[in-house]
Amino acid sequence: MSKGSELVITGISRSFGAVRALDQFSLTITPGELVCLLGPSGCGKTTALRIVAGLEKADSGSVFLDGEDLLAKDAAQRDIGMVFQSYSLFPNMTVAENISYGLKVRKHSKQKISQRVDEMLELVSLQSKINNFPHQLSGGQQQRVALARALAIEPRVLLLDEPLSALDAQVRTQIRDEIRRIQLESGTTTLFVTHDQEEAMAISDRVGVMQHGRLEQIDSPNTLYNKPATTFVAGFVGITNYIPSVVESKGEVQVLGQLLDISEHSQAVKKGEEVRAMVRPESIQIEKASHGPTVITKSFLGPMTRIGIDAGLKDLIYAELSSKDAKKFEMGDHVTVTIKTDSVMVSHA
Amino acid sequence: MKINLTKYSLVGIATLLALIIFVVPYSASIEYSLRGDFGKGHNLTNYYWFIHQDGFLSHLSLSLELGLLAGILNLLLMVPTATMLHLSLQRYKPIVDFICILPLMIPVVSLAVGAEYSMPSFIQNSQFELVFFFVILALPFTFRVLDSALSAVPLKTLVEASRSLGASWPSTIIRVVLPAARGGISSAFFLSFALGIGEYTMTSLLHWETFTTWTVVISQQNLLGSIALSTFSFLFAVALLVVIAIATSRRKIRKNSEIQLVEETV
Repeated sequence: MSKGSELVITGISRSFGAVRALDQFSLTITPGELVCLLGPSGCGKTTALRIVAGLEKADSGSVFLDGEDLLAKDAAQRDIGMVFQSYSLFPNMTVAENISYGLKVRKHSKQKISQRVDEMLELVSLQSKINNFPHQLSGGQQQRVALARALAIEPRVLLLDEPLSALDAQVRTQIRDEIRRIQLESGTTTLFVTHDQEEAMAISDRVGVMQHGRLEQIDSPNTLYNKPATTFVAGFVGITNYIPSVVESKGEVQVLGQLLDISEHSQAVKKGEEVRAMVRPESIQIEKASHGPTVITKSFLGPMTRIGIDAGLKDLIYAELSSKDAKKFEMGDHVTVTIKTDSVMVSHA
Repeated sequence: MKINLTKYSLVGIATLLALIIFVVPYSASIEYSLRGDFGKGHNLTNYYWFIHQDGFLSHLSLSLELGLLAGILNLLLMVPTATMLHLSLQRYKPIVDFICILPLMIPVVSLAVGAEYSMPSFIQNSQFELVFFFVILALPFTFRVLDSALSAVPLKTLVEASRSLGASWPSTIIRVVLPAARGGISSAFFLSFALGIGEYTMTSLLHWETFTTWTVVISQQNLLGSIALSTFSFLFAVALLVVIAIATSRRKIRKNSEIQLVEETV
């Protein structure tokens, strides 16, 4: 299997007419690492991936792979494996022919090609489909073949462009775990693009959140969720309550009658300013009461239940409890709402 | 199981109408072409008659040659054009679309005279100038067919996948683009080929003699022979269509026969 390479992207910019898709985008991926680019539609994540693949040109900046200038090379010479959202298997070729395509154009021997195809089919557990055509496979199977095809050439970097978007929820989770297993086994440096935060958090060593063509923050999923660097990241990653609050002093804010510290990455605010405190649903604690805020919605999410509370604010406040604890609350119940965290991030109202 | 009677009735009526429209006239032609002298008995006399006329084989082979060249030239011109329009030059598609419709809008006389004088003299003096005219006349049909075939596949992604796997542009065209659009390409070829062997107006206007113009001249000598000749031309065209269709689908049939049914699991 291939050893991972180091991918260094520095100051890449790309505009499409008046739209600036990438703005001084920089990212370094260490050998064998899986990095996800996460962001809303149009944030530039796919453009970044396509520039690395050589399918799009950069207006400025550089991309180096193990110290080698990639932008000077044609897409066909970069030794990069790519998996597309729409599978993109060659419809006129069987599974084996699809997987061997990259090896054939590299003029490997028949014996090596056959051996490599067998290895790849075993890796994605599709040995029995070797002679099938793409239209005879399910979506999940097609994407596994696409992955095998990309890995067959032993790429120095694997690029995945929203590879799970076209799959249904159950298959998506299964293939997601399989991609991670295969990536760890092969040790291939991988750049994964998605707009699905759950997918990004579950699969990555690090997640880069993008907005307006720039990286807002790149960190481990845990850090990203618990210590977001910007209000955009806090709002984009995970569910967040935006609770109207008032700044009491330079470092403190009053939220639902509680005095809490303002987190260091918050926007600059002034004393007395009306702001929005960003509070995670799992940081909201509720207790039964005879009057006060009312339980309006109750959504069962499996092990957790999300409860929507009307506290007389513009939006409902959401609390996430274990489904066992949530049993004691019914819709229409009155509750007290407490925030179980010392500091919150605030943004201008 | 509930059977939709209305649907089946409509299909039945449509099939019957098709049979009446297509089968009856051609059956009548075949029967008529087989009639013996003075309408007595049935034999192949009329077919023997036109086969033994001077110029039968030479004109037929010339028309086949011109049709074949028209088909090849059309593909050489239109496959790369349609491919580029789908890959990176989408904004030019309306312009090409308009240009390809022009042969239908411009009267054949104007087209023949205009195009004739725009050609170099060494081409004007050769019957192979007809190949260029046949290509022009076939453009409205071949462009549509190729455009539809290429629209039916995610061509851009397939090409990008091929390139990212290390294939050069020529390799990508040969291994990915052409097979993906094979149905459209064979249809486009057949359309140009059929137009080439069956075109009359332009050939006649430019005073060239091909199988179609020869047919018109020879038909004036023998009524039953002319019907036999028309029937032969029709059956010959159908046979060619079948041969081309079989040739282009042979690989698919072979491959399909090798694979087993698959269960729809992940």
